Amino acid sequence: MNFRPIGALLGWLFPGLGHIAAGNTRRGLYAMAGVMLLFVSGLLVGGLDCVDRTEDSLWFIGQAGSGPIAFAASFANDALLKSGSVGEMITMPAPPNAPKVFANTYKGLAHANEFGTLLVFLAGLLNVCVLLDAAVREPKSDGTTSGRRTGDPRVKPEGMP
Amino acid sequence: MTSLLAWTPFLQPAPEVDSWWWLLIIPTAVGIALAYTSIRSRTVAAIPREALVMTLQIIAAVVGIAIGLYLLVMVLLPMLPAE
Repeated sequence: MNFRPIGALLGWLFPGLGHIAAGNTRRGLYAMAGVMLLFVSGLLVGGLDCVDRTEDSLWFIGQAGSGPIAFAASFANDALLKSGSVGEMITMPAPPNAPKVFANTYKGLAHANEFGTLLVFLAGLLNVCVLLDAAVREPKSDGTTSGRRTGDPRVKPEGMP
Repeated sequence: MTSLLAWTPFLQPAPEVDSWWWLLIIPTAVGIALAYTSIRSRTVAAIPREALVMTLQIIAAVVGIAIGLYLLVMVLLPMLPAE
Protein backbone atom coordinates (compact mmCIF):
# COMPACT_ATOMS: atom_id res chain seq x y z
CA MET A 1 0.00 0.00 0.00
CA ASN A 2 1.43 3.37 -1.04
CA PHE A 3 0.89 6.07 1.55
CA ARG A 4 1.02 9.56 0.04
CA PRO A 5 1.26 12.17 2.81
CA ILE A 6 0.60 14.98 0.33
CA GLY A 7 -2.86 13.50 -0.30
CA ALA A 8 -3.61 13.56 3.42
CA LEU A 9 -2.24 17.09 3.77
CA LEU A 10 -4.35 18.40 0.89
CA GLY A 11 -7.39 16.60 2.30
CA TRP A 12 -6.84 18.36 5.61
CA LEU A 13 -6.35 21.77 3.96
CA PHE A 14 -9.83 21.45 2.46
CA PRO A 15 -12.19 18.46 2.57
CA GLY A 16 -12.00 16.41 -0.64
CA LEU A 17 -8.98 18.26 -2.04
CA GLY A 18 -6.72 15.23 -1.59
CA HIS A 19 -8.92 13.15 -3.89
CA ILE A 20 -9.33 15.95 -6.42
CA ALA A 21 -5.57 16.55 -6.61
CA ALA A 22 -5.04 12.83 -7.25
CA GLY A 23 -7.46 12.87 -10.16
CA ASN A 24 -10.37 11.31 -8.27
CA THR A 25 -12.42 14.43 -8.83
CA ARG A 26 -15.96 13.09 -8.50
CA ARG A 27 -15.16 11.07 -5.40
CA GLY A 28 -13.52 14.15 -3.89
CA LEU A 29 -16.54 16.32 -4.68
CA TYR A 30 -18.90 13.84 -3.02
CA ALA A 31 -16.64 13.72 0.07
CA MET A 32 -16.44 17.52 0.08
CA ALA A 33 -20.23 17.79 -0.14
CA GLY A 34 -20.73 15.43 2.80
CA VAL A 35 -18.17 17.04 5.11
CA MET A 36 -19.13 20.60 4.20
CA LEU A 37 -22.84 19.84 4.65
CA LEU A 38 -22.10 18.80 8.23
CA PHE A 39 -19.75 21.73 8.87
CA VAL A 40 -22.04 24.43 7.43
CA SER A 41 -25.12 22.90 9.10
CA GLY A 42 -23.28 23.01 12.43
CA LEU A 43 -22.36 26.67 12.02
CA LEU A 44 -25.90 27.55 10.91
CA VAL A 45 -27.51 25.79 13.86
CA GLY A 46 -25.03 26.70 16.60
CA GLY A 47 -23.51 29.90 15.26
CA LEU A 48 -19.81 30.68 15.52
CA ASP A 49 -19.89 29.86 19.23
CA CYS A 50 -20.04 26.13 18.50
CA VAL A 51 -16.38 26.13 17.40
CA ASP A 52 -14.33 27.24 20.38
CA ARG A 53 -10.79 25.96 20.86
CA THR A 54 -10.44 27.43 24.37
CA GLU A 55 -13.77 26.72 26.08
CA ASP A 56 -14.58 23.49 24.22
CA SER A 57 -11.04 22.24 23.67
CA LEU A 58 -11.91 18.52 23.73
CA TRP A 59 -14.60 19.00 21.08
CA PHE A 60 -12.19 21.14 19.08
CA ILE A 61 -9.71 18.25 18.84
CA GLY A 62 -12.25 16.44 16.68
CA GLN A 63 -13.47 19.58 14.93
CA ALA A 64 -9.89 20.41 13.89
CA GLY A 65 -10.04 17.41 11.55
CA SER A 66 -11.95 19.67 9.16
CA GLY A 67 -8.75 21.66 8.67
CA PRO A 68 -8.17 25.40 8.48
CA ILE A 69 -11.90 26.15 8.20
CA ALA A 70 -12.33 24.96 11.80
CA PHE A 71 -9.45 27.16 12.98
CA ALA A 72 -10.88 30.08 10.99
CA ALA A 73 -14.27 29.61 12.67
CA SER A 74 -12.61 29.50 16.09
CA PHE A 75 -10.60 32.64 15.38
CA ALA A 76 -13.76 34.36 14.13
CA ASN A 77 -15.47 33.33 17.36
CA ASP A 78 -12.66 34.99 19.34
CA ALA A 79 -12.53 38.08 17.14
CA LEU A 80 -16.25 38.71 16.81
CA LEU A 81 -18.18 37.14 19.68
CA LYS A 82 -15.75 37.01 22.59
CA SER A 83 -14.42 40.48 21.92
CA GLY A 84 -17.94 41.90 21.76
CA SER A 85 -17.49 43.24 18.21
CA VAL A 86 -20.94 41.91 17.43
CA GLY A 87 -23.80 41.29 19.81
CA GLU A 88 -23.70 42.59 23.35
CA MET A 89 -21.55 41.52 26.29
CA ILE A 90 -23.57 40.83 29.42
CA THR A 91 -22.49 39.95 32.95
CA MET A 92 -23.13 36.35 33.93
CA PRO A 93 -24.49 35.48 37.38
CA ALA A 94 -21.66 34.70 39.77
CA PRO A 95 -21.18 34.13 43.51
CA PRO A 96 -20.39 37.16 45.66
CA ASN A 97 -16.75 38.29 45.52
CA ALA A 98 -16.14 36.13 42.43
CA PRO A 99 -14.60 37.81 39.41
CA LYS A 100 -17.12 39.08 36.86
CA VAL A 101 -17.73 36.82 33.89
CA PHE A 102 -18.99 38.27 30.61
CA ALA A 103 -20.73 36.43 27.80
CA ASN A 104 -21.97 37.51 24.40
CA THR A 105 -25.71 37.56 23.78
CA TYR A 106 -24.99 35.59 20.59
CA LYS A 107 -23.67 32.67 22.61
CA GLY A 108 -25.43 29.40 21.80
CA LEU A 109 -27.36 27.57 24.50
CA ALA A 110 -29.02 24.19 24.93
CA HIS A 111 -29.90 22.27 21.74
CA ALA A 112 -28.52 24.92 19.40
CA ASN A 113 -25.06 24.72 20.94
CA GLU A 114 -25.13 20.96 21.43
CA PHE A 115 -26.13 20.12 17.86
CA GLY A 116 -23.94 22.79 16.29
CA THR A 117 -20.93 21.48 18.19
CA LEU A 118 -21.80 17.88 17.34
CA LEU A 119 -22.31 18.52 13.62
CA VAL A 120 -18.96 20.32 13.25
CA PHE A 121 -17.32 17.56 15.32
CA LEU A 122 -18.76 14.90 12.99
CA ALA A 123 -17.47 16.88 9.99
CA GLY A 124 -13.97 16.81 11.49
CA LEU A 125 -14.03 13.09 12.28
CA LEU A 126 -15.35 12.14 8.84
CA ASN A 127 -12.78 14.36 7.15
CA VAL A 128 -10.02 12.44 8.96
CA CYS A 129 -11.40 9.27 7.34
CA VAL A 130 -11.61 11.04 3.97
CA LEU A 131 -8.06 12.41 4.10
CA LEU A 132 -6.65 8.99 5.12
CA ASP A 133 -8.47 7.49 2.14
CA ALA A 134 -6.99 10.18 -0.12
CA ALA A 135 -3.54 9.19 1.10
CA VAL A 136 -3.86 5.54 0.14
CA ARG A 137 -6.28 5.52 -2.81
CA GLU A 138 -4.96 4.81 -6.29
CA PRO A 139 -4.75 8.09 -8.28
CA LYS A 140 -7.13 8.53 -11.19
CA SER A 141 -9.28 5.57 -10.16
CA ASP A 142 -12.59 7.41 -10.62
CA GLY A 143 -13.38 5.68 -13.91
CA THR A 144 -15.18 2.45 -14.63
CA THR A 145 -12.22 0.33 -13.44
CA SER A 146 -12.11 2.00 -10.06
CA GLY A 147 -11.91 -0.32 -7.08
CA ARG A 148 -11.02 0.32 -3.50
CA ARG A 149 -7.54 1.24 -2.46
CA THR A 150 -3.97 0.62 -3.42
CA GLY A 151 -3.10 -2.93 -2.42
CA ASP A 152 -6.69 -4.14 -2.47
CA PRO A 153 -6.57 -7.49 -4.31
CA ARG A 154 -9.92 -6.69 -5.95
CA VAL A 155 -8.35 -3.72 -7.74
CA LYS A 156 -6.93 -4.56 -11.15
CA PRO A 157 -4.08 -2.23 -12.11
CA GLU A 158 -4.33 -0.74 -15.57
CA GLY A 159 -2.96 -2.95 -18.31
CA MET A 160 -3.55 -6.19 -16.41
CA PRO A 161 -5.96 -8.73 -17.90
CA MET B 1 -41.22 34.05 12.43
CA THR B 2 -40.13 37.32 14.00
CA SER B 3 -37.07 35.69 15.49
CA LEU B 4 -36.20 34.22 12.09
CA LEU B 5 -36.25 37.68 10.48
CA ALA B 6 -33.88 38.98 13.16
CA TRP B 7 -31.49 36.02 12.82
CA THR B 8 -27.93 36.63 11.60
CA PRO B 9 -26.83 33.29 10.10
CA PHE B 10 -23.44 31.94 11.23
CA LEU B 11 -23.10 34.58 13.95
CA GLN B 12 -26.13 33.73 16.04
CA PRO B 13 -27.50 30.27 16.82
CA ALA B 14 -30.53 29.36 14.73
CA PRO B 15 -33.77 30.57 16.34
CA GLU B 16 -36.07 28.27 18.31
CA VAL B 17 -33.93 25.18 17.75
CA ASP B 18 -35.48 23.61 20.85
CA SER B 19 -38.75 23.12 18.98
CA TRP B 20 -37.33 21.48 15.83
CA TRP B 21 -33.96 20.01 16.89
CA TRP B 22 -35.09 16.47 16.07
CA LEU B 23 -35.22 17.39 12.37
CA LEU B 24 -31.44 17.81 12.45
CA ILE B 25 -31.18 14.03 12.06
CA ILE B 26 -31.78 14.65 8.33
CA PRO B 27 -28.69 16.80 7.50
CA THR B 28 -26.68 14.71 9.95
CA ALA B 29 -27.62 11.45 8.23
CA VAL B 30 -27.14 12.89 4.72
CA GLY B 31 -23.70 14.32 5.59
CA ILE B 32 -22.45 11.15 7.26
CA ALA B 33 -23.77 8.96 4.44
CA LEU B 34 -22.27 11.13 1.68
CA ALA B 35 -18.83 11.35 3.28
CA TYR B 36 -18.77 7.67 4.22
CA THR B 37 -19.97 6.25 0.90
CA SER B 38 -17.65 8.56 -1.04
CA ILE B 39 -14.70 6.59 0.36
CA ARG B 40 -16.32 3.16 0.69
CA SER B 41 -18.18 2.71 -2.61
CA ARG B 42 -16.44 0.48 -5.15
CA THR B 43 -17.48 2.74 -8.01
CA VAL B 44 -18.17 6.46 -8.13
CA ALA B 45 -21.42 5.92 -10.01
CA ALA B 46 -22.83 3.99 -7.04
CA ILE B 47 -22.16 6.74 -4.48
CA PRO B 48 -25.48 8.67 -4.79
CA ARG B 49 -27.62 5.54 -4.55
CA GLU B 50 -25.59 4.07 -1.68
CA ALA B 51 -25.65 7.42 0.15
CA LEU B 52 -29.43 7.58 -0.20
CA VAL B 53 -29.82 4.03 1.11
CA MET B 54 -27.48 4.72 4.04
CA THR B 55 -29.33 7.96 4.86
CA LEU B 56 -32.63 6.09 5.04
CA GLN B 57 -31.02 3.34 7.12
CA ILE B 58 -29.67 5.84 9.66
CA ILE B 59 -33.00 7.66 9.93
CA ALA B 60 -34.93 4.37 10.21
CA ALA B 61 -32.54 3.14 12.92
CA VAL B 62 -32.87 6.35 14.94
CA VAL B 63 -36.68 6.32 14.60
CA GLY B 64 -36.67 2.65 15.67
CA ILE B 65 -34.56 3.42 18.74
CA ALA B 66 -36.87 6.34 19.58
CA ILE B 67 -39.96 4.09 19.36
CA GLY B 68 -38.25 1.41 21.44
CA LEU B 69 -37.25 3.87 24.16
CA TYR B 70 -40.75 5.40 24.15
CA LEU B 71 -42.30 1.98 24.68
CA LEU B 72 -39.78 1.18 27.41
CA VAL B 73 -40.31 4.40 29.35
CA MET B 74 -44.01 5.04 28.75
CA VAL B 75 -45.42 1.49 28.59
CA LEU B 76 -43.10 -1.11 30.13
CA LEU B 77 -41.67 0.77 33.10
CA PRO B 78 -45.10 2.00 34.38
CA MET B 79 -46.20 -1.66 34.42
CA LEU B 80 -43.56 -2.54 37.00
CA PRO B 81 -44.80 -2.79 40.61
CA ALA B 82 -44.24 0.33 42.65
CA GLU B 83 -42.13 -1.49 45.22
